Amino acid sequence: MKHFSKLMVLGLALMVLAVGCGKKPEEEINVSKAAVDAIVTEGADKYAKDELKNINDTLSQAMAEVDAQGQKYMKNYDKAKELLAKAKADAEKIKADIPARKEAAKNQATTALEGAKTAVAEAKSLLAKAPKGKGTMADIEALRSDVAGLEEAVNEGQGLIDKEDYLAATEKANSVSSKAKEVSDQINQALEKVKQAKKSSKKK
Amino acid sequence: MKSNFLTIKAAVILLCTGILCGCSAPPIPHEVSSIESQEKELWSEGGDLYIPGEYKNYLAAFKGIRKHFYVEKAKFVWFRNYDPVRAEIRDLYKSGEELRRHLREEKAGRSNTLNRKFSRLRDRILNFKRLASLVNEGRFSRKDITKAEVLLSEADGFYSKGLYLDAEKKVETAFIVTDSVLERISPVISRYTNGPQIKKWRDWVDKTIKESRGNRGYAIVVYKIDRSLTLYREGRPYKSYPVGLGLNGTGNKLHAGDRATPEGRYRIVRKLPGSRFYKALLINYPNEEDKRRFIAAKRNGALPERTRIGGLVEIHGGGKEIMTYGCIAMEDRQIEELYNLVATGTPVTIVGTVDHENGIHAILKEIKS
Repeated sequence: MKHFSKLMVLGLALMVLAVGCGKKPEEEINVSKAAVDAIVTEGADKYAKDELKNINDTLSQAMAEVDAQGQKYMKNYDKAKELLAKAKADAEKIKADIPARKEAAKNQATTALEGAKTAVAEAKSLLAKAPKGKGTMADIEALRSDVAGLEEAVNEGQGLIDKEDYLAATEKANSVSSKAKEVSDQINQALEKVKQAKKSSKKK
Repeated sequence: MKSNFLTIKAAVILLCTGILCGCSAPPIPHEVSSIESQEKELWSEGGDLYIPGEYKNYLAAFKGIRKHFYVEKAKFVWFRNYDPVRAEIRDLYKSGEELRRHLREEKAGRSNTLNRKFSRLRDRILNFKRLASLVNEGRFSRKDITKAEVLLSEADGFYSKGLYLDAEKKVETAFIVTDSVLERISPVISRYTNGPQIKKWRDWVDKTIKESRGNRGYAIVVYKIDRSLTLYREGRPYKSYPVGLGLNGTGNKLHAGDRATPEGRYRIVRKLPGSRFYKALLINYPNEEDKRRFIAAKRNGALPERTRIGGLVEIHGGGKEIMTYGCIAMEDRQIEELYNLVATGTPVTIVGTVDHENGIHAILKEIKS
């Protein structure tokens, strides 16, 4: 009888322990999911795409483990908790890294746009040397429109930076720069033609 | 009794130890890591972007298998059986490989389509540049053409990084921008593809040549589309010169300041030896037809009341490359030659074109093809 009572107490203690360990880690799940959502909001899908994929994968493994334990009588969520904690820790680490990555992308876009602005300004200042009004050469008039188009493209690039689309802004800025250099070369050729025309008319 | 109990106890302990020692947990199937790698590879190759529907189904199946695997893994070692999971993984792996093949085909297809679009867009931009230059509309259309060129370059940049979807977006936008170029210049170019209009111009030219033949004298015909001036002598082409036109030279002059070059049958009314643009031949713009059009435009409200019809349209020197306010510009040595050949009263006919299959028509045909 005495032994039986002892066994009962031991059994109850074990049951309490088992139930205690077997509680679904709702809070950990919510915290980990919130951590992942937070990095998505921060732009992880752009600036930490691979890491986000790995974190989501860890989260998915954790949820599979939670489901698997949920089907057992003697539940043990330790492994699930471990995975959830890893997902959360990884997300927090990336969250801390994202601002620096964003800043680097922003700097790259800003530098590229500054380069584009300079290239367009150079083309524009070359055009300022060309004659205006009646007597202007047709190709110079067309080149003025080219520069106007480039100025609009620069504004669009600034718009992309404002929208934090730094990759697209960098691509646009680089494209504008190379086109602006092309236009500058054409302006120089056109100005040379004007010079030649003036020279030959002076000879007469 | 006691010894019997001890014997049974020892036997049970021995049996349990034996069972426990003999039954270790079955190993994790190697297929698990291979399917995990496959899923990651499909994702990094862009499965979610290029074949989203199929990838989503694959991912759902992958997650199902993972769940099944974890359920199996959570079982007590005696009850663990990975065989069904292994079979499921093998099936999914096969589907995954099929998916990978499809994904690569899809990407190759997109890459080819993009290359074709790049080539079409380049041709289109080139044609629009030629068209703009032909109708002297660079000022209005080149801005959009330049924007389209920038977009094409951006698309090229995305393409080289393997970002086909971004490249596609840029190319589509570039096509839309080039469409606006066509819209912008179509009022100017439509007259050059208009049959009755071309017939009218041809009639004027025929009459002018006939007059030159009849009076055994000179006649001038300016073909705007070709940027050329032909001097006829006794009804036959005698000399031809390249010319420049007004800022809106392709259009038909209607009023002062529109910078268009008039179209019609005129005559040289005065020879100006000391022009600002070397030498000049003044024509009698506006003629009766020009006056009728001008009055009609004012009457129907197309022109404000204060608008004047303009005048002083000349054929002058200064160089064929210059932009005039509606005059016809030539190289100085060529106006010198023409000036010396023609007299006051010489017919001057200015037309757009006499050729139905003209340059604008040909470019438009290419653009629309």
